[in-house]
Amino acid sequence: MLKKRQFLVSFMFFVLLFGVVACNSSTETGSDDNSQDTSSEETGSNTETDNSDEENSDGTNEEVTISLWHIETGPSGDAIMQAVERFEEKNPGVTVEVSQQENDPYKSKLSVAMGGGNPPDVFSSWGGGWLEQFVNAGQVKEITNELDTDIYVEAALSAATYDDKVYGAPIGMAVVPVFYNKDIFNEYGIEEPDTFEELKEIIQTLDSNGIIPFTLANQTKWTGSFYLMYLAERIGGPDLFSEAFNRTGRGFDDEAYVEAGHKIQELVELNAFPDGFNGMNYDTGQSRQLLYSGKAGMQIMGNWLVNNVRDEMPEFEEKLDFFLFPAVEGGEGEKNHVVGGVAPVFSVAETSEHPDIAAELVKELASIETSTYMANNAGDISAIKGVTYEDPYTQKISEVLESSEFMQTYYDQTLPPELAQVHLDTTQAIFGLSMTPEEAMAKVEEKAKELLD
Amino acid sequence: MLEKVEKLSKPKVATSTDVKKARKRKEILAIIAFIAPALLVYGVYVVYSIFMTFYYSLFDWSGIDNNLVFLGLSNYIELFQDGVFWKSLQNNFLLVAASLLTQLPLGLIMALLLFSPIKGIRFFRSIFFMPFLMSTVAIGILFIFIYDGNFGLLNDLLRMVGLESWQRAWIGTESTAIWAVIATVCWQFAPFYMILFRAAIVGIPEELYEAADIDGANSLQRFKNITFPLLMPIITTSAILSIIGSLKYFDLIYVMTGGGPSNSTELMATYMYKQTFTNFNMGYGSSVSFSMLIIAFIVTIVILFGERRRRGEE
Amino acid sequence: MIRKISQMPIYLLAIILLLFTGLPFFIMVNTSFKQQLEFMTSPWSLPESISFSNYALLLELDFTRYFLNSLFLSVASVILVIVLGAMASYPLARLKFRLNKPVFLLFMIGMMIPIHTTLIPIYILTSKMGLYDTLWGLIGPYVAFALPISVIIFTQFMRDIPRELEESAKIDGCGHFRLFWRIIFPLLTPAVATVAIYNFIHIWNEFIFALVLTSSSDVATLPLGLREFYGEFSVNVPGIMAALTLGSLPLLLVYFVAQEKIVKGLAAGSVKG
Repeated sequence: MLKKRQFLVSFMFFVLLFGVVACNSSTETGSDDNSQDTSSEETGSNTETDNSDEENSDGTNEEVTISLWHIETGPSGDAIMQAVERFEEKNPGVTVEVSQQENDPYKSKLSVAMGGGNPPDVFSSWGGGWLEQFVNAGQVKEITNELDTDIYVEAALSAATYDDKVYGAPIGMAVVPVFYNKDIFNEYGIEEPDTFEELKEIIQTLDSNGIIPFTLANQTKWTGSFYLMYLAERIGGPDLFSEAFNRTGRGFDDEAYVEAGHKIQELVELNAFPDGFNGMNYDTGQSRQLLYSGKAGMQIMGNWLVNNVRDEMPEFEEKLDFFLFPAVEGGEGEKNHVVGGVAPVFSVAETSEHPDIAAELVKELASIETSTYMANNAGDISAIKGVTYEDPYTQKISEVLESSEFMQTYYDQTLPPELAQVHLDTTQAIFGLSMTPEEAMAKVEEKAKELLD
Repeated sequence: MLEKVEKLSKPKVATSTDVKKARKRKEILAIIAFIAPALLVYGVYVVYSIFMTFYYSLFDWSGIDNNLVFLGLSNYIELFQDGVFWKSLQNNFLLVAASLLTQLPLGLIMALLLFSPIKGIRFFRSIFFMPFLMSTVAIGILFIFIYDGNFGLLNDLLRMVGLESWQRAWIGTESTAIWAVIATVCWQFAPFYMILFRAAIVGIPEELYEAADIDGANSLQRFKNITFPLLMPIITTSAILSIIGSLKYFDLIYVMTGGGPSNSTELMATYMYKQTFTNFNMGYGSSVSFSMLIIAFIVTIVILFGERRRRGEE
Repeated sequence: MIRKISQMPIYLLAIILLLFTGLPFFIMVNTSFKQQLEFMTSPWSLPESISFSNYALLLELDFTRYFLNSLFLSVASVILVIVLGAMASYPLARLKFRLNKPVFLLFMIGMMIPIHTTLIPIYILTSKMGLYDTLWGLIGPYVAFALPISVIIFTQFMRDIPRELEESAKIDGCGHFRLFWRIIFPLLTPAVATVAIYNFIHIWNEFIFALVLTSSSDVATLPLGLREFYGEFSVNVPGIMAALTLGSLPLLLVYFVAQEKIVKGLAAGSVKG
């Protein structure tokens, strides 16, 4: 009797479920219709806004609200607010609703808003594979013609360009050098290395003196990815990644990648990293703690490290210097090839009711004023040409980028997110010695075949 | 639902069938009036979301466009062959076991302590509850540092008591990461069971203990013969809450390890989150979610069943 | 209740548990008085000098508004959950009808669904209701997702209330409503306190719905306000700890009041018994 009832309950539950799903498929199409309705309404209101836009420039004040989501904090956040103020001044009657979000949750928040059909008019991203997902989903407006594309550094603009169509305007760029503690290098008479062998010698010197050679917080994963990107480039040359990514030659399971994985494991076995680095979090500062306290000698990190230093331990900046990741003997890469990336990139949502005004806002955000402020206050390299750097550190780091013959953009931002995830996970596993480089690279290649071929 | 009210509802002075019927109708109306408001809110948000989850799980959908491709049950078939899913299911069951074995006993011990005649009981009562009161963000960040391999508090403590050989990077090592995180989860939730048990112990009539005192029972006997049996129902409920909570657990793992290193602390919920929001596989992510629901449902039914049988045997 | 055995081991156990449960809270408060640099260089030491600068920063950052928003949301949602949950539990615990078990199980199922998959449906729902970016839009999901555990706890406690009370009331001609509010509900104090604490804490710390269903800072809650302490690649740990220490004070208060209520209920119970 009881059994029967329990069974009935579960049975009813599933019947209900299927019933509702059946009804739902109709509701769903209904809601799709709705969204189409709204979009047609939107186009209706678009024409209206276009008018109102013109009226705005004529001086009449029809109220228009543009929503803007971004993730900049500190001085970069100030730079965004200043751009918004400039924009509102130039466009009376337009109000910008700014919503500043936290980096990680922002990604989910934007996804839900896109999926729910109500994204902000203007939003920030890193370009690359992440933005491309939204472009492919038809959620991002092409702004090739709206932008003055000549003012941007080509490498930066290309991060938001797909099939020669521009979907976003970049403001800043970053490169990834090897930072080190000058005092420690002086104490042990260490010179900046030119080759991987020399780097290994440094590692042995530091390790034998009880200093952790590289501090690394690899719970964060992209931190370990730097090593793989550099080693792969140094071994396989600058074209390796683009061949694998564009499926035009070598793949992710190429010998160079496997070799890069072996070199990472070699470093792990040389004791190059702190205990438990795979569980350390970059954001909470666990790896920097070791650097600041002099327990660790080097860190491979984006040039934003200096912002962290200025926030957390300003007096450490004078001990801080950097060199570029050394060449690997017999490899095809060069020491002056750098790994780097673009951030932030601003785009207009396809569903924006005021796409023209939104594009204007993007132009104001990604303007030389904004990037100059960011360069001088937040240490970003400008993605817009012609900025004069006041900050000597930013000046120095921007020279590195300018003199570099090749910039490899971060894999995890370039690849489609799902593949990026596999890359990050397998790289972490290589570091953890829980996967052989052969296995790891085969896994990446397998995913790449599935997603890219 | 309306006509189905059983006759068991004690119509003691049943004079005529008319009165019976009238009373029955009144009872039905009362039942509806009591349940309907909650059911309405619940239905609109929760039941609807569950249906939608199942609906999405039948599609290949990125979650960010209008392009839903019907797949039938393919997502579930793929899930069945997904090693990471099985790994996370296994971790979930570890968490379930650990939660049952630590949260409930610890909660019970703390609850009993609060009834012992120690001084400053208010103080103890407040502090014991602290873990549950702290926000997950705070707990996550603090425990990342506590478990750190280089300057972590736990390693410092181990050194102080001469257990240097035990020192390690607790969440950086694949073999210990899951245990470190599980310990934190159990630590956080034990106080919830403490207040649950405490509230239940309060409801035990004092006379029972007085009678036992007269019989000369010691405190262990009192616990064994009175407190524990009377707490059995709430313990079962707690067990269900603990199991369901552990099966869909997410927060601390996300803050502390993000499922790593190398998926060693992946739970079903963190895996679902990754699939949905990192990999843009809303359809597949939904199938993970719905499978979680089914697993939890089956486990719950089994427990309720066992409980029923146990009660029947008594 | 454990009266007769020697008290020493009890104290010992209580103090061990005290350290075990209280230490992290102490570390949180301790950290909140430090500067970032001090935290970086010696995370576990006592602060060299107690600095309130992190707390001063909170006032600058509009935390009062976040605080009030959280307070409104938590209080409103908890009251609704208690009323709706206790009412729904009454027939489930004390009346026999055929759909009793199914309805109860339906409520349980709500606990089994991971929150994150419900985000898109609930986002769409909230937008359609015109409640996006309002505090009202959050109350619905908070109440709905708090109902399962509340109903389970309430029914559990209601089943233990002796039948005789009800019988005598019924003979007096009491209807279900009066019976529930006059007799059952007052006896539920321990359960109400437990449900209130659980849900208050949960809603007070809730993050993901607040993240997705609001966007302007006018309606931001305390957990969202923490983003002020996150840089793109860094976290101001002492700042966060200050915010969370301050944010936990109302919870302590709620907990304390609710637990005192249970003590009162205990006293009342023994008189009545």
